[in-house]
Amino acid sequence: MLAYTIKRILQSIVVLLVVGLVAFSMFQYVGDPVDNMLGQERTQADIERVRAQLGLDQPFPVQYWKFISNAAQGDFGISYRQKRPVMDILRSSAPATLELAFVSGLFALIIGITLGVITAIRQNGFGSGIIMTLSLIGVSLPTFLIGILLAHLFAVELGILPSKGRGETVIIGGWVWSVFGTQIQFPSWRTGFLTESGLRALILPSITLGLYQMTLIMRLVRSEMLEVLRQDYIRFARARGLRERAVNFRHALKNTMVPVITIAGLQLGSIIAFAIITETVFAWPGIGNQFILAIRAVDIPMMAAYLMLVSVMFVIINLIVDLLYFAIDPRLRVDRTAGGH
Amino acid sequence: MFRTLLAATTALTLIGSAQAETFRWASTTDPQTMDPHAVNSAPVLGFLNNVYEGLVRRDRDMVIEPALAVEWRSFPVESQSAEHGWRFVLRQGVTFHDGSAFTAEDVLFSYERASSEDADTASWFGSVTDVEIKDDYTIDFITNGPNPIFPDSIANWMIMDSDWAAANGTERPSRDTENFATINTNGTGAFRVTERSPGIETVLEPFDNWWGEPEHNITRAVFSPIPNSATAVAALLSGEVEMINPIPVQDAERAAARDGVKVIQGIEARVIMLGFPHDHEALKFGDNAGDPNPFADLRVRQAVAHAVNVPAILQIVMRGTAEPASQLVSPAMRGYSEANAARPEFNPDRAKELLAEAGYPDGFSFGLKCPNDRYLNDASVCQAIVGMLARVGITAELNAMPVRNYWPELRADNFDMYLLGWSPGTFDAEHPIRFLAATPNTEKKLGSWNFGGYSNARVDELLPMIQTELDEAKRQQMLDETATILNDDVAYVPMYVQPLLWGVTENVTLTQRPDNFFILRWVTVN
Repeated sequence: MLAYTIKRILQSIVVLLVVGLVAFSMFQYVGDPVDNMLGQERTQADIERVRAQLGLDQPFPVQYWKFISNAAQGDFGISYRQKRPVMDILRSSAPATLELAFVSGLFALIIGITLGVITAIRQNGFGSGIIMTLSLIGVSLPTFLIGILLAHLFAVELGILPSKGRGETVIIGGWVWSVFGTQIQFPSWRTGFLTESGLRALILPSITLGLYQMTLIMRLVRSEMLEVLRQDYIRFARARGLRERAVNFRHALKNTMVPVITIAGLQLGSIIAFAIITETVFAWPGIGNQFILAIRAVDIPMMAAYLMLVSVMFVIINLIVDLLYFAIDPRLRVDRTAGGH
Repeated sequence: MFRTLLAATTALTLIGSAQAETFRWASTTDPQTMDPHAVNSAPVLGFLNNVYEGLVRRDRDMVIEPALAVEWRSFPVESQSAEHGWRFVLRQGVTFHDGSAFTAEDVLFSYERASSEDADTASWFGSVTDVEIKDDYTIDFITNGPNPIFPDSIANWMIMDSDWAAANGTERPSRDTENFATINTNGTGAFRVTERSPGIETVLEPFDNWWGEPEHNITRAVFSPIPNSATAVAALLSGEVEMINPIPVQDAERAAARDGVKVIQGIEARVIMLGFPHDHEALKFGDNAGDPNPFADLRVRQAVAHAVNVPAILQIVMRGTAEPASQLVSPAMRGYSEANAARPEFNPDRAKELLAEAGYPDGFSFGLKCPNDRYLNDASVCQAIVGMLARVGITAELNAMPVRNYWPELRADNFDMYLLGWSPGTFDAEHPIRFLAATPNTEKKLGSWNFGGYSNARVDELLPMIQTELDEAKRQQMLDETATILNDDVAYVPMYVQPLLWGVTENVTLTQRPDNFFILRWVTVN
């Protein structure tokens, strides 16, 4: 187990290094950050001085190596655009993204499972047909269009929900705790969960972001349910005279949950990573929005840190999944000794 | 049911606006910093004009008026032998937001800070050789020669408290790291920043001890950046913000048709023009790449000027929001040349004749470079130009790209023709001559945006004379002469002045200034 884990971690590190390398080789073509940092009245000398200051005059392997060696020490540099440490920016905008991802994940799971069960039980019902057809829209319409449509309907036409931003937010955490003389500071967290306007602001972006995952889960639950409902033990349960609800939810649904949870876990990573579009449409001040702004300004440290962050996240999720498989599947454990076939 | 809901929400918004004059507005970009000397860009300077003040400021019509200085005059008055410069008499009884008094010491400090190597505003002080404090409320700027537009060029130079800067370790602006002044402010302006979350929102409140007479009725103003224009329009229409800048050209009509929203339209200082590769030996793109550069021939440049149908561009692409331009500055700028107010007429037949005379009866093919996210509808304008040039037989291969790739391409000389917009920072006709028409010279800091390498000995000769001429009439004469030379040479093809389009809710009155600065103290919410 230990050897396997170490092997996987080493592989993950290689993946991260490659991601960084690809990112840095691409930054050469994203544009020149210098124009964004200097005003209209800059001279050629200013341009060269700033390029030298930023180390942009060096070949990209050198820039990449600098970035990697600093990143290994937790230093992601200073944002060109905002002149603040990139880590500070990510830390202060992460809560917005994580809260959005959490709520849309929850939305996708609850609504997705409910609708999945309904459409499976009433397989040929009229309502199921409508839900299934509508779910096609969720899969096929691009996120930004859904977001703009929702904002137009609920914010502009009906005026009942906000179309942008997080509403009022409250900062929690940041307390300093003294344990045996050492100061421990809790990270501070700007939350939108505690105010009414903060919760209202979450509704449209969460639906937009979670819609795709919701339809995915719904279709998965439906097909798994249909599969399970045909099994013998369900018939026996019915034959024993158990109530329909107990059969559907206690016996059938439970058995469909294994693949659903796997998929939902893997999708959490993409919810966070693909929040970029939703955040842009709703001017949501999260890390995805920061990434878009960073691209426009050719803010290389910010782009690099974001890409690394996202790949770390995916690598960790995959690592956990791999390790879970290892725990579940005994064949992986005997792999080494049983060789030869 | 929708109607009841709508009525209910309207009632709610009405109650909301009745209780407090909180004003919320949005723009595409967040000011990168709160430091008035660190970045010389419109979003930063425009925002900070509400918080910090300069010695002079611009009024609603862009005319210089007293701010922290009550009067100023150039010297020497009589003798030509003495030093040249400007004396400013400062306003008394002004306090910074933190309560400390404003004196000449702060002006000297702010000069040193804004002209330092770390500042992005040093070019405003290029002619200043020394600054002398005469007494607490009198200060002299010594210049290396007569400088008639010095007060104009420092209208956005903002004064910072020297003690506050020293106490917080921010004596110099910082380019690469944040410092205290990046987030915090302490100006003398009508508004003070009470809360700053970069990229999320910035809250301002009126400064009670401001020296001026407030004309606004705002008790609290909240700015939030909305990078996506569709989101901004939705926020305006739903009443979540009272003002957005800009409102996209294609949404303006639709938005204006709605109840409760109006579009305020004006002319920006920015002139959009076509540039030529004057000093290139050969064409670089298209089927004729490698052939001698046809644009070196005046007749070909004239042909382009006659081939581009500016009225059609304005009507169709800009939807009637922009004004035609005949020279490098708009009529709102100081030093605009009335004598050169006529554009070359749209005349494709004349263009064909000129091309034939120049030896291109069958036209030629070349590469047109264009940004696609820098100016309003820039890529569409270029597409229209491609079609218009095709009508006279020259084939432009359009390559439109984001602005972050665009400037490096132009600097590397990778173009046969390009689109450029220029907004004179000093609001004076001398500015584009210095940057776009003077022969490029790194040492003298001239022609730094003259990508095509246009060069005319008489223009180079006139520029320093314009820069030092104190007599308005003589100066205008020289500006007229320069404008005529540039038009005769077709150094550029100025096409139109870009419009300013702000979306505002009906209950707000405000003033739109051609520099696209949004001044809070001119806002009233009814």
